Amino acid sequence: MNRDTEEKKSARAQGKASGAKPGLSTLRRVLPWIVMVVVALGFGLHKGFGTLSDFGWMDVSVLCPLGALGTMLASKLLVPRALISLAIVAVLILLLGRTFCGWVCPVPSVAKLRRAFAKGGRTKKDAEEAAARTPKLAPGAPLTDEEKALLAQSCHEAHSSHGTRVFDSRGAVLAGALGSAAIFGFPVFCLVCPIGLTFATILLVMRAFGVGDVTVSLIVVPALLLAEVVFFRKWCHTLCPLGALMSLLGRANRTVLPTIDNEKCLETSKGRRCGACGRACDEGIDPRHPQLGAARANECTRCRACADACPAGAITFPLIARTQDEGPAPAIAVKEEAKTLQHSQ
Amino acid sequence: MEEEKQTTETSEEDLRAKRPNISRRSMCLGIGGAAALVALGGLKYVGSTPVVRPPGGQDEDRLVSACVRCQKCYEACPRGVIAPVHVEDGILQTRTPKMYFDNGWCDFCADENGGVPLCVEVCPTRALELPAGATAQSTIIGKAAIDTDTCLAYRLTGCRFCYDACPYEAIELDEINRPVVIADKCNGCGACESVCVSLKEGSISSGATKRAIVVEPQA
Repeated sequence: MNRDTEEKKSARAQGKASGAKPGLSTLRRVLPWIVMVVVALGFGLHKGFGTLSDFGWMDVSVLCPLGALGTMLASKLLVPRALISLAIVAVLILLLGRTFCGWVCPVPSVAKLRRAFAKGGRTKKDAEEAAARTPKLAPGAPLTDEEKALLAQSCHEAHSSHGTRVFDSRGAVLAGALGSAAIFGFPVFCLVCPIGLTFATILLVMRAFGVGDVTVSLIVVPALLLAEVVFFRKWCHTLCPLGALMSLLGRANRTVLPTIDNEKCLETSKGRRCGACGRACDEGIDPRHPQLGAARANECTRCRACADACPAGAITFPLIARTQDEGPAPAIAVKEEAKTLQHSQ
Repeated sequence: MEEEKQTTETSEEDLRAKRPNISRRSMCLGIGGAAALVALGGLKYVGSTPVVRPPGGQDEDRLVSACVRCQKCYEACPRGVIAPVHVEDGILQTRTPKMYFDNGWCDFCADENGGVPLCVEVCPTRALELPAGATAQSTIIGKAAIDTDTCLAYRLTGCRFCYDACPYEAIELDEINRPVVIADKCNGCGACESVCVSLKEGSISSGATKRAIVVEPQA
């Protein structure tokens, strides 16, 4: 498809002195497609792992948490398999946050079709956004005093002081989805869920060609999917109630988060302005300066964009992060400098 | 909160620009999205064509309230007789399961799963659920009905495919060898429909490929 950019990317990744892992970013890109192929094979062979709405072998499976909640609210019944699925999903979210969004969900991959409708590689809006994210100040310049003060705050402080909002637009959609299911008695969101629509599209196309099942759905279903995620930008960030659910539970997630090695980071080790990690993050998280980011760490999809963007290769995703307060010497040096600065003000 | 405020105030303008407003735009989107979903709920009151449901899905209200359209039953069906409902049969039930007897019929997975339908077994939300002890005979999926206008046997061709196919002896031949359905014995397994050779001719217009004997949902 776009082998050119892929090659460039991998070349760039390999060119880095640090431990960048091009294999992982490739895997992340192809995994949703692999899932789609596996699901399609299951449809064709009448044996497989189901769709992401209920993924698993035969009756041992994990049901979509939103579907599980929706169906139980709608039917006013407790369904054992739905409850077990909810518990499993809750544990997964506690451990991995929104990793599903970055690695498995087919919607971001489908949304890339947007490029097919745009002239050139990226759409104008994408470019504008990237420009907006790039700070006007030149990277590499020494840090200003304020920035040093910001750096001196430990990550924990920053996270607890920032992002007090629990509810964003996705949360409202989540509430609407569950409320509507409870009022009208059917899982309303399932009707328009883009993940469901993606697999429905695959199934409809397979049936149209396989058994000649011709239906208007063949037009309506993909059209709805395109309307949601291709022409309506930012589905994931502003509307997806499943993402909202994951963010909500993910607030308690403390594992496998981007962690900066202060000894390698340009800002802490050399006192230079960088911020590449924050600019790279599609979710608006700034791993270096969490308080400047638009989103808290619970929005992290483990897409590793920050790790790939870091010129020093300082970002890793350890299972359990070391506390940054007991960090190496350079960080403390910056901290002290910032402290004296605050006193003098 | 205070700390946050301070940070915003002391930040340079570009840093402030980077933090998008959670405010109005997001609020409008959220409320709009939530309202759209509530409006979608109103589809419950839009009419829909009754369809033949897989075993255990005969309670239409329960099926619609529980089905998350995961297509698991479709995948599990070893005979390939489950299909997603078309949008033209009703928006509310789009992509929920229906029986599709073009290429096969339902024997309650007698060979594959000892008479317990796999679709019921895999359904994660109990949208398809059979009462304890339910058998193929006791579960009425639908009832076969013959369209005497298109049935070849009613043109006295001697066709008796459906009669031969019926595993429940629910079809009899009358004195001039025309098939007649005995409704009391029929459970809607679809064996007759799957072998019927008299397709209406035509394009893809509605009902064009409907066979002369079809299983119809029970009201």
